[in-house]
Amino acid sequence: MSHSKRSNIFLLDAERTTWHDETLWFVRQKRDKAVYATPEFQELRQLASDIKDHTLSRLDFYLQQFEENARRNGVQVHWAADAHEHNQIVLGLLKRHGATRVVKSKSMLTEECHLNPYLIKHGVDVVDTDLGERIIQLRDEAPSHVVLPAIHLKKEDVGDTFHLHLGTEKGNNDPQQLTETARQHLREKFLVSEVAISGVNFAVAETGSVVVCTNEGNADLGVNLAKVHIACMGMEKLIPRLSDLSVFTRILTRSATGQPITTYTSHFSKPAEGKEMHVVIVDNGRTKQLGRPDFRNSLKCIRCGACMNTCPVYRRSGGHSYDFTIPGPIGAILSPNIDMRKHASLPFASTLCGSCTDVCPVKIDIHTQLYKWRQVLGQEGEIPASKKWSMRLLSRVLSKPAVYGLGGKVARQGLRFLPHGLTHGKGYNPWAIARELPEPPKQSFREWYAQQAVK
Amino acid sequence: MSSSREKILAAVRTNQPVELPLPTVPSFEGDDSVEKFTSIVQGIGGTVVEVADATRLPEVIHQLFPADYRIASPLLPEANVPVTAQTPIEVLAAVDLAVLQGEFGVAENGSIWVPEANMLHRALPMITQHLALVLDRRNLVATMHQAYARIPSVGGYGTFLAGPSKTADIEQSLVIGAHGARSMVVLLV
Amino acid sequence: MKVALFIPCYVDQFYPQVGIATLQLLEKLGVRADFPKQQTCCGQPMANSGCERDAIPVYHNFVDAFDGYEYVVGPAGSCVYHVRKHFDIIEQTPAVQHVRTNTYELFDFILNVLGINEIPGSFPHKVGLHLSCHGQRGLHQANESEMTPVRDGQLRRLLSSMQGLELTELDRNDECCGFGGTFCVSEAGISARMGQDRVADHVRNGTRVLTGGDMSCLMHLEGIVRRAKLPIKVMHAAEILNGAIL
Repeated sequence: MSHSKRSNIFLLDAERTTWHDETLWFVRQKRDKAVYATPEFQELRQLASDIKDHTLSRLDFYLQQFEENARRNGVQVHWAADAHEHNQIVLGLLKRHGATRVVKSKSMLTEECHLNPYLIKHGVDVVDTDLGERIIQLRDEAPSHVVLPAIHLKKEDVGDTFHLHLGTEKGNNDPQQLTETARQHLREKFLVSEVAISGVNFAVAETGSVVVCTNEGNADLGVNLAKVHIACMGMEKLIPRLSDLSVFTRILTRSATGQPITTYTSHFSKPAEGKEMHVVIVDNGRTKQLGRPDFRNSLKCIRCGACMNTCPVYRRSGGHSYDFTIPGPIGAILSPNIDMRKHASLPFASTLCGSCTDVCPVKIDIHTQLYKWRQVLGQEGEIPASKKWSMRLLSRVLSKPAVYGLGGKVARQGLRFLPHGLTHGKGYNPWAIARELPEPPKQSFREWYAQQAVK
Repeated sequence: MSSSREKILAAVRTNQPVELPLPTVPSFEGDDSVEKFTSIVQGIGGTVVEVADATRLPEVIHQLFPADYRIASPLLPEANVPVTAQTPIEVLAAVDLAVLQGEFGVAENGSIWVPEANMLHRALPMITQHLALVLDRRNLVATMHQAYARIPSVGGYGTFLAGPSKTADIEQSLVIGAHGARSMVVLLV
Repeated sequence: MKVALFIPCYVDQFYPQVGIATLQLLEKLGVRADFPKQQTCCGQPMANSGCERDAIPVYHNFVDAFDGYEYVVGPAGSCVYHVRKHFDIIEQTPAVQHVRTNTYELFDFILNVLGINEIPGSFPHKVGLHLSCHGQRGLHQANESEMTPVRDGQLRRLLSSMQGLELTELDRNDECCGFGGTFCVSEAGISARMGQDRVADHVRNGTRVLTGGDMSCLMHLEGIVRRAKLPIKVMHAAEILNGAIL
């Protein structure tokens, strides 16, 4: 199903669409406030972009430097070429420890690899501990946003879910009380889990550390209570130096939620005494994207979600309309790299307004890449045949001034004299679903201009 | 060495572009005042209590928290829950208040650097119901640039702690006390 | 100064009055512009649909039509942006480079080439300015809310300089209207919804005349205004300036 078909379903509930749009716009406004209050913000964006560009240009070196330093710290490093290998490595570690109870903090990578269903199939009780992630896990849904996974849900939805699964009173939709319930419920899980899985926000090559940023403290609580910590990271999470974190910690949350920093910015370098720490470095298509010059800088993404919050299309179609782990504008340029045919409609789910590019804290030229993906899809034959042939015809007309002049006249005359019902048929004229066509004038500009010359 | 490692590194070498320069990050200066730090901490849900001198800490703690709290702290003789890296989880889970030393604070975001050495147990700052961080008022820096300049090594584990645990995952309503400490007070000495 | 008028295809066919206003406005500001009749379109509809290759003959026709002129001026930021940014796939002959560099959006031309910052005229109405994304973010004709809270821009200045004209302050100053070229039909549902939300912002804040520098966005917004039978008149800014100038 194409993005437009899925968004039409979302749009059916007009009130909810308004609510979704306004909720995310509010987050965008919080971001603006934080950005305006940071005079050097644009400089920081440039630095962040340059650091990431540099890192990608020497990725082989930094990967090995990170590995070497992490190993020296007593951390075990694993390499996974794809999602399946990643899942196998994680399961292997759980089996080695005889672990069946696992807590997991937020990680878009494990979502990308579909780790949860894989572990559950193998008898592991894996519990997402980020509140938003837990809500959607209980509902058996995918996250609809990279930072705000349950942003598509209203408090009534959460109230119903908690009533069903956690025994809260029916109709109790108070966020404070629901969060307290989740706190109690998840503390039980934290206290008994043998293994904790976390994502990685940044991996520092020069120290071999991984950095995890959360507001809830769920990553730290899980990792610091369990015997084994498994940190799963996409290989693009690397940065060269510890001091580079100063740039990234300053832009990440300001861009994401407008906060000056997350509550917990934690640096994990060595396992605690008597415990184990593992890092799984995952490729899963990233080296392929690195090899596409027009698209490689999408790997600079730090998953702040700012492009989603600002995107007028995302705000009105919801994260699930993208049908990809990473939704929104950034998802629309990452997804065709993974499966061009399946995600062919995503680069077209944009007006190319450019707001995504302008909020991106690492300066990914998102809207330019959307445009370029369209050309790749066009050349690979992944656009609808009707569009392909109509564009070819249009090109014929527009490259021949005489044909264009005559064609325009005929079309305008047609519009002038055909009945409204026929020109505005919603079945075949999508324009007409909410808009009137322009009233066709008797004369085109060029006809008027020719007359002036005669006068 | 796994074969995937070699495969990935080979693919990276083939596909990465020519080397681009690594920029030097300037040290953006800013306001490192107690006022700025205090207002930001309050803005992120924390509290700042100014303490005249370190000898008065027990008194201040007594005023701020109920007398029957189970307290873990390397700084207070009154601490009644002894905690080490080997302390069992059930004991940690029963701590009401942890009073720990913060190394320095960052005025631009209200965070405080707490290395593993100051935590008694890595999980203590998160598992405790309430958290108090003692901070020397002379140890404030303006931005994260000066902050990282102060920690050439992050040690085994360390965290910038900024306010109490919080979430806005239910309809963007801010709720304080998600999984970690329900409250965070900075005791500025 | 040898200036050519670039009238985009849809303006030519559906909004000849905008082309006329552009021509007359330039004349009043002391510039006589020609209309080379070989021109058709900038090729953007094909390119935005993923058929950039099909647009190449159209690009060549554009360059041939305008190569002989010092400046090419058009009342449409989006088309100008397309010429400047996306004509990079054809061979960069001196002619192509010349046309790409010297194709100007009308108000950019008035401010930055002619150096005119004020329009001596009166338009005593409450005017809502729609910032088109390609003019604003693409050609940097206005400040962006992503960067700064200051609402400033070329057209805003020109309109503000007119007597009696009161600008609407919108809740969202620069959100996209949802036109997006072929997006308006391929994602018709979202496109319409975005346009309706944009129009609602104007209605809420008292716009009586809705204007902008890009007729494509205005065509979409006008379609929504007319369908909803709202008491708002939609005019290209060239029409306002040309009609009011003393």
